[in-house]
Amino acid sequence: MSFRFLGPRAQIAAVLLFSGSAILLGACATTDASTESGAKDSAQLSPLSPARHIGPQGQVGQVVTDCGYSHSAADDPIVFPGQPGMSHEHDFFGNTSTNADSTTAALLKGATTCQKQLDTAAYWAPQLRDHGQAVVPVKSVAYYRAAPGVDPKNVVPYPEGLHIIAGDMTATEPLSPDLAGWACGVSSAHDAAPPQCPNSAPLRAVMTFPDCWDGVNTDSKNHKSHMVNSFEGLCPKSHPVHVPQLTFAVAYPISGTGHDLTLASGSTYGIHADFINSWDQEGLANEIRLCLNRDVVCGLSSNRDEDPLFGPK
Amino acid sequence: MRRTSFKFAIALLGILALLAVSCGGTDSDSDSDSGGSDSEATSGSAKTIAVPADKPTIQEAVDAAKPGDLVLISEGTYNEDVDVETDNITIRGLDRNKVILDGEFKLENGIRVLDADGVVVENMTARNFTSNGFYWTGVDGYRGSYLTAYRNGDYGIYAFDAVNGQLDNSYGSGSPDAGFYIGECYPCNALIDNVVSEFNGLGYSGTNSGGDLFIVNSTFRNNRAGVVPNSGSYELCYPERETTVVGNIVHDNNSTEAPAIEVALLAQGNGILLPGGVRNLVQRNLVFNHDRTGIGLVPYPEEDASDLAPPDTEWDTPCSETHDVEVPPIPSADCKAVDGLLKGCVVFWNPYENRILDNNISTSKVADLAVGTIDLLGLGVTTDLLRNCFSGNTFTTSAPSDLQALAPCDATGNGGSWDAGALDLLGLLGSPAAAPPKDTYKTTPEPAAQPNMANAGTAKVTPAPTGPPKVDIAAIALPARPAGT
Repeated sequence: MSFRFLGPRAQIAAVLLFSGSAILLGACATTDASTESGAKDSAQLSPLSPARHIGPQGQVGQVVTDCGYSHSAADDPIVFPGQPGMSHEHDFFGNTSTNADSTTAALLKGATTCQKQLDTAAYWAPQLRDHGQAVVPVKSVAYYRAAPGVDPKNVVPYPEGLHIIAGDMTATEPLSPDLAGWACGVSSAHDAAPPQCPNSAPLRAVMTFPDCWDGVNTDSKNHKSHMVNSFEGLCPKSHPVHVPQLTFAVAYPISGTGHDLTLASGSTYGIHADFINSWDQEGLANEIRLCLNRDVVCGLSSNRDEDPLFGPK
Repeated sequence: MRRTSFKFAIALLGILALLAVSCGGTDSDSDSDSGGSDSEATSGSAKTIAVPADKPTIQEAVDAAKPGDLVLISEGTYNEDVDVETDNITIRGLDRNKVILDGEFKLENGIRVLDADGVVVENMTARNFTSNGFYWTGVDGYRGSYLTAYRNGDYGIYAFDAVNGQLDNSYGSGSPDAGFYIGECYPCNALIDNVVSEFNGLGYSGTNSGGDLFIVNSTFRNNRAGVVPNSGSYELCYPERETTVVGNIVHDNNSTEAPAIEVALLAQGNGILLPGGVRNLVQRNLVFNHDRTGIGLVPYPEEDASDLAPPDTEWDTPCSETHDVEVPPIPSADCKAVDGLLKGCVVFWNPYENRILDNNISTSKVADLAVGTIDLLGLGVTTDLLRNCFSGNTFTTSAPSDLQALAPCDATGNGGSWDAGALDLLGLLGSPAAAPPKDTYKTTPEPAAQPNMANAGTAKVTPAPTGPPKVDIAAIALPARPAGT
């Protein structure tokens, strides 16, 4: 686990997060006398950066869902609910109805851009700009897996309507690329800033969401403290429920040189993503049970649909 | 939507699990997970579950089936995507051409077998699925017989991370990736026998598979490219190796109408192409009418690769031993880009030690037989050092020009020039075919009626393979040219 990317501000945030977690410990009627060391345990157990799967796909069970780009809007139903136009510009994927007024109930009735029609979840990320011009994404890819070290049998579906945010939109310095970063195609080598990519593996933004839920709240005041990352396969007592580790990638038609990339939210270090679990709940439960709990590779994402090597530029 | 009461059960399970984890002190880690396999408890004789007579849907019948049972499906069009998680069941249609799973371009997979061993699917059709017609993943033992898969968005018939299998007497068409695919396994212990694959991006594709993997007595025609197994570190179990391709008819794989992923556009116009494959045997195939090569051994350059190509001392590592090996990113000093051509961390997968024997290859526009590489990374690996060999082939053109004399099998070459008539790889790679319109797969031709299995209503269940196929390679002759071709 690496904390080398954490700046002082992030460390303060970490302390706040962990004290919040300690309060939640009270919700569970445990009688063990671990409260004194609980904060420490909790800190160790919920690092700000996730443990991430690296290397070739096919090593662990996964559900992969490819979702086309749906629309863009200055809306954010998690951070600015009911306030259209309040946010920086976002690109939306999956659910086609997502806007500032979206409720889980409404999203559950929405259509989807996903190849897997049961995936009516709402996914979004800040708009990417090249020389100030909006870049229309090619698609998004969502990978659902047990986080490294987590016993896949212990993973349960997200609760309906769970809100999660990955990454830090305010970052102006490099974050850990394990949390949110940039890659070429499906490569698991991530950088904090967009690398120069080949045609056969164009640019992707990749964000990994926390995978331990507090078991109670589908959102929280800062939209983060109800979720933390697992550590060495374990969730802390404050956030005891193992849910899938969602890694969300946005593929852009960006390769080669000559780009000047920014995000609608500012620096490309601030790449982040949001997720609302408005999947068909039965369908999601089925995929988690069949693919994650049984550790089966139910799908892959490849570079196969990208431009060929040596092809006309 | 299937299984309405299931939702409640899952919700309950979720709450129980939640309570168990959140407040349970000692985790009794095996409460709910393995509850699904009531299999061993089954005693008595296997039964037949008829659809729709006993159960209205295939899914309900499959869910009710115990190991050894037969799900027997009557004529009809079923708008279902069926998940199978019970070992050793057989799912059979009464009429291959009239028992039709139809995804209506909304559902993903016709039949998806997940970590259920020994499942047999036979005598039916799957069409119009956004991913695959028939799909086995994470299984030990599988068989697909008398299957028709067409107009499916990824693959027709697809086995991934699966061993001990057989696909026979089946037909796949209209997939932008491959009609037939067996990938990520070594040893695969699998047989593809007497299948027809046409109008696909690739007739056969298999990434990082091999080891007792046989493709025999089959026809690959009118795809964009015919038989194209390949290596790459984007999936596990590299390299592709030890695939045996014998006694097939491979012709006219130049289609500009077939659906295609980008790789198929790049491979277009080749009959049997081995990009980065090692230790394959290609013998007594009849190969004709290709815009590029009849049989081509070429490199697969992988940009931004996940791992380096393993040395030959690791080519016999079983796939199962690579699952838990951590693959850290390649140190930047260990790989490089090629100025102006290849970006990022480039890994070159070369074709090594392939044996090309006794094939009959004709009317290829670039070369009937070809092998080539480019030493772009300056590693000193040139075509003459790849140890591929060619003997007993009947052909007219080759690249290099004197290939069969330069590199005969089990004999010393004539020491001639590898440069004369060398394959212009850069030229070929630099001119891929034009992409078809999006969703071309949805409009590929309807196949003609296909032969049924014998006595589908009464035939006893034949289990799926449990070990490597027994194939008498020597008994498979060079096929005769089909009438009208």
